[in-house]
Amino acid sequence: MTDANTPAIACQNLWQVFGPGAEKALTDALSRSGNDADKAATDLREHGFIPAVQDANFEVREGELFVIMGLSGSGKSTLIRCISQLLPGTGGEIRVDGENVIGASKKVLTDLRRKKLGMVFQHFGLFPHMTVAENVAYPLRVQGVSKKERLARAQEVISLVGLEGREDSFPRQLSGGQRQRVGIARSLAVNPDIWFLDEPFSALDPLIRRQLQDEFLRIQATLKKSIVFITHDIQEALKLADRIAIMRDGKIVQIGTPTDIVLRPVDDYVREFSKDVAKGQHAKVASVMRDDGERGPDDPGLTTSMTLDAALAHCMELYEPVPVRDADGNIVGTVHPSDLAAALQVDET
Amino acid sequence: MTAVTDTPAQQVRLTAGAQAALITVIVGAVCLALEGVAPWLVKWPAAWELPATQWVGAFLDWFLNGIKPAMRLFSDLMTYPMNAANYVLGNTPWPILISIVTALGWYLGGLPMAALGFIGLSFVLASGYWAESMNTLALVAVSVPVALIMGGAIGILANEVPRVKSFVQAVLDIMQTVPTFAYLTPLLLLFGFGPVVGLIASAIYAAPPMARNVMLGLERVESEIKEAAIMSGGTRLQQLFQVEIPAATTQIMVGVNQCLMAALSMVIIAAVIGGFNDIGWEVLLTMRKAQFGESLMAGLVIVVFAVVIDRMSGTLATERKRYDSRVVWAMLGFAVLFTAAFWAWLPNPSELTVLDPMAGAIDSGLTAFTQANGPWLDALKNNSLFYVLLPLRIGLDQAVLPFTWGFQWTPSMSWGLFAVGAAIALLMAWRGHLTGGLVVLILIGMLETGIGNLPWPFVLTGAAALGWVAGGWRLAALSVGLLCTILVSGLWERALLSLYLSGAAVFFCAVLGGLIGLASAVWSPVWTVVRPICDMLQTIPLFVFLIPVLMVFQIGEFSAFLAICAYAIVPMIRYTRHGLVNTPEEMMEAAISSGATEWQIMRDVRAPYAAPTILLGLNQTILYAFAMLVIAALIGTTGLGQSIYLALGQADVGLGISAGAAMAILALIADRMVQGFAEERRKALGL
Repeated sequence: MTDANTPAIACQNLWQVFGPGAEKALTDALSRSGNDADKAATDLREHGFIPAVQDANFEVREGELFVIMGLSGSGKSTLIRCISQLLPGTGGEIRVDGENVIGASKKVLTDLRRKKLGMVFQHFGLFPHMTVAENVAYPLRVQGVSKKERLARAQEVISLVGLEGREDSFPRQLSGGQRQRVGIARSLAVNPDIWFLDEPFSALDPLIRRQLQDEFLRIQATLKKSIVFITHDIQEALKLADRIAIMRDGKIVQIGTPTDIVLRPVDDYVREFSKDVAKGQHAKVASVMRDDGERGPDDPGLTTSMTLDAALAHCMELYEPVPVRDADGNIVGTVHPSDLAAALQVDET
Repeated sequence: MTAVTDTPAQQVRLTAGAQAALITVIVGAVCLALEGVAPWLVKWPAAWELPATQWVGAFLDWFLNGIKPAMRLFSDLMTYPMNAANYVLGNTPWPILISIVTALGWYLGGLPMAALGFIGLSFVLASGYWAESMNTLALVAVSVPVALIMGGAIGILANEVPRVKSFVQAVLDIMQTVPTFAYLTPLLLLFGFGPVVGLIASAIYAAPPMARNVMLGLERVESEIKEAAIMSGGTRLQQLFQVEIPAATTQIMVGVNQCLMAALSMVIIAAVIGGFNDIGWEVLLTMRKAQFGESLMAGLVIVVFAVVIDRMSGTLATERKRYDSRVVWAMLGFAVLFTAAFWAWLPNPSELTVLDPMAGAIDSGLTAFTQANGPWLDALKNNSLFYVLLPLRIGLDQAVLPFTWGFQWTPSMSWGLFAVGAAIALLMAWRGHLTGGLVVLILIGMLETGIGNLPWPFVLTGAAALGWVAGGWRLAALSVGLLCTILVSGLWERALLSLYLSGAAVFFCAVLGGLIGLASAVWSPVWTVVRPICDMLQTIPLFVFLIPVLMVFQIGEFSAFLAICAYAIVPMIRYTRHGLVNTPEEMMEAAISSGATEWQIMRDVRAPYAAPTILLGLNQTILYAFAMLVIAALIGTTGLGQSIYLALGQADVGLGISAGAAMAILALIADRMVQGFAEERRKALGL
């Protein structure tokens, strides 16, 4: 029973600890440290355990594209495997559509996967002995859908990802980009509500990557899935995300919109990421807009949703504050051109 | 001794290797010095031996008798499929069988495989051994499915239940080292004489490679493929049978190939107990009657089967093209029509004598050859025996006799030899190679004493020292512990003899095989010649190696030595070449751009990089040598192999199993030590 207020996914105090007897070790460490996650993690490390995900707390809203970003070894792949229950999860809660999946029975999980979840893998994870169509239809085959029916559905998603004509090819006969299209099609075969993508474009060439990112956005615009998307590429995260969670050493250090991440990094680690990012391409005028009414005579036609770069190009010659309009053309605030320039300065701290 | 330790005083601390070697030298010297006073230091007194073989025998008798009814029932059940297979293969007209194999070849590998099948089976037909071959094939046809199912089930079980896995792996390791003949004795007790024993022995022998490859294949399926199956919502059974097993097909097919070859090899070896009218028995019979022409023909039939089965099943493990199935039907149709049309004229394959003249020609040619080259061959054999093998076995002090060497060895010569050894050791120590010097001293000592007469404390110390250097105190303790069980069980002397013959063969293989591998690596034309020979030697069932050496050198230790070498040299060649050829391109380029010469690159870059691989080759060579040692007992070796063979003849389970276990222990220790050294090298290279 999904209602509008239930988040698609909610993680609360989620831990994934590796090592023999991890569950007990986690409980012990938490009680020793008085539920302080950082201390508990240090404690676990000292006892030879690996806390790959520490005390993760976040929600993914209905229809939201939630990106988890971090370097290799930061625990992002472990985290997505916890949520999809490929790993059991050592402590905490994961609610999928309001139901806790940690400790759920095999049958419940299988059912969940058959109806609600889809997942795309970094190295595609295609079945080498099946054709494209058979790969895509496999999630339906395990449910006992008739051959005719499942191949018809496979055909639909294959068209959606633009692979018509390759239905009878084997994965080894496809290029990397085509393989990932198969992976995407397979994950969509059961029309899941929740879509996991584990670094889906990392193994591809830059050009193909951009092409697939654009297509992914196109597909998402029509399907409106709730998405958890893993990447190590800040540009990709900024381009795709509604919200981004940045992970480091098993911890989520910041969750925010792309603008938040770029303009208001919580610490040096996050700042380091956004350092190379051309802020002007991601931050919007709204982020530097003021409410006060004093402004000069010029109106270069800025809007709240313009990027800083575009705004700056419009007021190159101007020195006095200019008005900003919303989508309907009403003036909602003021921007000083000097603020635009200042926001674009690269932090040298 | 003191001088040796004093010289490198500036190096303050001895390396682990030097310490180990030094202790070994001291123990050896003490044993030699006290031989007169305390002979028990050299030869383990018979009074201290435990009747372990009897105990093992009694226990096994009790155990085997316990499970006998169940096993007899099983063997009775197995006679049905066996009789059926025999009936089908024995009564299908030969043109149809040939066309089935040819069609199968076409289906699997196109024209080359079809040609291989056709020519191979035509040869079998012409040889006149058709009926015997079909009997052998029937055994294989029944034992292989049994082995595949057993092996597959074990592999899947180990994959599904992680706790069972290490146990299964240990059992498979042991099964690989226990010599084939050793299986046969208990089976003989369980099932009585007859073809079923061969069938079951070969199923048991052929199951482990299947199990291993299934485990390996399932393990190697990409984790993302497994995860994709889970996320697709498959149940565990769906994941396993619809995704993981099909994705592991290539590796599993390697297992099928190895399983087939193992079964064929064992079916032929099992003929030793049998009197069952199959091709292995034919080889054995003709060998015993010294009809080498016939023996070689029968051996060739076995080789043909091995090659056809190996190459055809080998295509399963590679990516296959689809071949037109109409050709298959055409071949089969043609064969049926041909058979129907010429039914009355089809010759009885057993009466075909097309190749009999060839066997005769081989026989007479061989006689002519041995007569013409007699002196030369005899000289080769005798010189190798008297000047190499015998001294190694019983030591220079006993092997040097006026009759062979022209003079009598005297104690003063021993002293002289030791003095030379000590001098060399001193010199090497002076140059900074203390460990090397000590090892030379040890080797010279062993040459004087002979491996068969080595004092037991020295052997134990040496094994402990090697184990300690190779893998730490655990391996040292394991080696000593296992060797002690041989010592007290009264099999010690035979174990030393086995050690001597396999050691000599391994040494020879290491040197010659290493050189051939080196030549193949640096000059590719050599490899184009050597490679098919290696392929061939690895395809031929063990048993067949005995025929040619027997033809030329008759029964004896030298023939056994040659047979062992011929079989065991292959891995040494392969691994040496592989290691040397696979030096990373970047390392080569770095060396070239530093201005290194070809030879410097070989010595400083390629050889060190290849060392772990070459050590693994040596490891394989040792295991191969032990495997062949037992088979070679058929043509005259002493030691454990002979004991196992004798036990088989007398149905003495205690002796058979104990001697088999002793062989397995020796192989296991050697295996662990070489693996230890290889591991250490790999770590040192950061691989």
